[in-house]
Amino acid sequence: MSVYSPTLLKVKEVLPETHDIATLIMGFQDGAFAEEFSFKPGQFGLFGAFGEGECALAIASSPSSKGQITCSIKKVGKVTSSLTSANAGDIIGFRGPYGNWFPLEKMKGKKLFFIAGGIGFSAIRSSLLSVLEKKDNYKKVVLLYGARSVGELVYKRELADYEKNSKVDLIKTVDPGGDEKDWDGKVGFVPSVLEEMKPKPEGSVAIVCGPPVMIKITIATLVKHGFKREDVYTTLENRMKCGLGKCGRCNIGKAYVCKDGPVFTAAQIAEFPPDY
Amino acid sequence: MAKLLKVESPESVVEKLISLEKRVIAPVRDGRLHRFLPVTRMEDADFGYFQAEGSMKGYFLPATEGILKFSCTTNEQKLEEPDLEFPETFIVGCRPCDAAALSIQDKLFEWDYVDEFYKARRDSTTIVGLACTYADNNCFCTSMGLAPDSPDGSDILIVKTEEGFLAEISTKKGEKLASLLELKEKGSAEDRRRAGVNAGKLITREFRSEGIPGWLKSNFEHELWDSMCTKCIGCAACTFTCPTCHCFDIVDEPVGTSGERRKNWDACTLRTFTIHASGYNPRSVQYKRYRQRIEHKFNYYVDRFGRFLCTGCGRCIRVCPVSLDMAEVLEEISSRV
Repeated sequence: MSVYSPTLLKVKEVLPETHDIATLIMGFQDGAFAEEFSFKPGQFGLFGAFGEGECALAIASSPSSKGQITCSIKKVGKVTSSLTSANAGDIIGFRGPYGNWFPLEKMKGKKLFFIAGGIGFSAIRSSLLSVLEKKDNYKKVVLLYGARSVGELVYKRELADYEKNSKVDLIKTVDPGGDEKDWDGKVGFVPSVLEEMKPKPEGSVAIVCGPPVMIKITIATLVKHGFKREDVYTTLENRMKCGLGKCGRCNIGKAYVCKDGPVFTAAQIAEFPPDY
Repeated sequence: MAKLLKVESPESVVEKLISLEKRVIAPVRDGRLHRFLPVTRMEDADFGYFQAEGSMKGYFLPATEGILKFSCTTNEQKLEEPDLEFPETFIVGCRPCDAAALSIQDKLFEWDYVDEFYKARRDSTTIVGLACTYADNNCFCTSMGLAPDSPDGSDILIVKTEEGFLAEISTKKGEKLASLLELKEKGSAEDRRRAGVNAGKLITREFRSEGIPGWLKSNFEHELWDSMCTKCIGCAACTFTCPTCHCFDIVDEPVGTSGERRKNWDACTLRTFTIHASGYNPRSVQYKRYRQRIEHKFNYYVDRFGRFLCTGCGRCIRVCPVSLDMAEVLEEISSRV
């Protein structure tokens, strides 16, 4: 066994999310590994399709669902094309969990803004589910979620549940031109909708994930509204290969995203050279 | 304090080790060049060389290496791990700049997660360095805190002196080898000191390097990058010949339903190194990729591991097809500190 050795996951269920995104629910083949496996919300894994390669992806399930993990994958390249076309019963390689996590303990008693764009939702879903499991620990959950179009929203089943959940304020939006006739959400880019919401920084913490440009503008919007950079968290998903702080690919300045991240505060990001 | 013992010659070390049926890797002449290759006859090793074409990096971090075999059908998945046992090996006669590269890379491969492929080879290998007696104008080891006779990375360093050869023993592995070689006669510290003074004179290219990390920290977007580094064509020759560059890729090479996962050398100077699946590339133009190489070697690595990721061997300068001289870039930075 080496640090590069994967364990095997068996696909239990495939949930199609959009035309190019699928959620895989997977269980570990090795019972002892499944027993010992634990992770924290925000950590990631290297998911591998044998013959295609490995790909760094966030674990999207809650740590409380023992023995199985969920991952939502957008079909973009070779590995993700293979993973998104997986069927129940297929075997996938897994290394992890890697990286740091969202410090949910530190956020107790706060109002939490979850702000997600596109498939970026999958990287904060684990935190959102964990928070909702212990929702009395947190004051309020605001979920602002945007996608390019109605058809590209992920986790639609859960969004419907959140709409009924009194602890969650759900604001969903699609980019201009992405709406449909019966669309009951907003139309506008995530940072613009956030701007309209006039988020109050007092007693609040924000968790942001989406495409790099959305993260940059969303952080700027939050800071403009008085959020301290220390209270704004995001997760960066640079190109990675090893996940172990060796292959030299994911660094931003001296930070390895795979080891020092993927979770960073906006204060940490402000110190980075513009190289991400 | 390192122990000094007399040794007949580097050749005698090879001869003795071969007679003991040990695995020896040494510089071997290959046309105009020298390469580190296994030798089974003392005559094959050639220590009258300047610098080998590649360092012995490839022995510890091969250009391509299988890390997992897989065979996957719908009903059965078989994974096969490669053997992590490596034979006891003696690398004899490498230059101090190449030996030091190993102690620099150790920090990375043994930090946090341990790369067993690298570590197992390191543990089973003894390094016998050979101090330089020649340097060219692309050598700049002294600016990197090293010297043509530095013992860093060598378990034993052989130094040619006025009186013959001395073996400078720095590690337990070195002591073990010294007793294997039956080295007993004490060497003279004064003889060693004089050899060191002469070795220092070999290096003609020198600049002040201590201010470089600081300059790099505050000048990430300096115009110097575009003006000096834009001619880089991204061929990666510098990174592949570099004894300290260690970035790698992991790829699957399938053959039908089976195949192998391999770790291959990669390079920050290549366009595809950081490109996201979406097509977005944080290092969108070539000078940004070359800048990463400099920042990594002379700033980030220093912050993380306390050393320059460079030994001043000068290979990157000699092989660059567009004469992008890294020492010149460093001299320029040094002059601005």
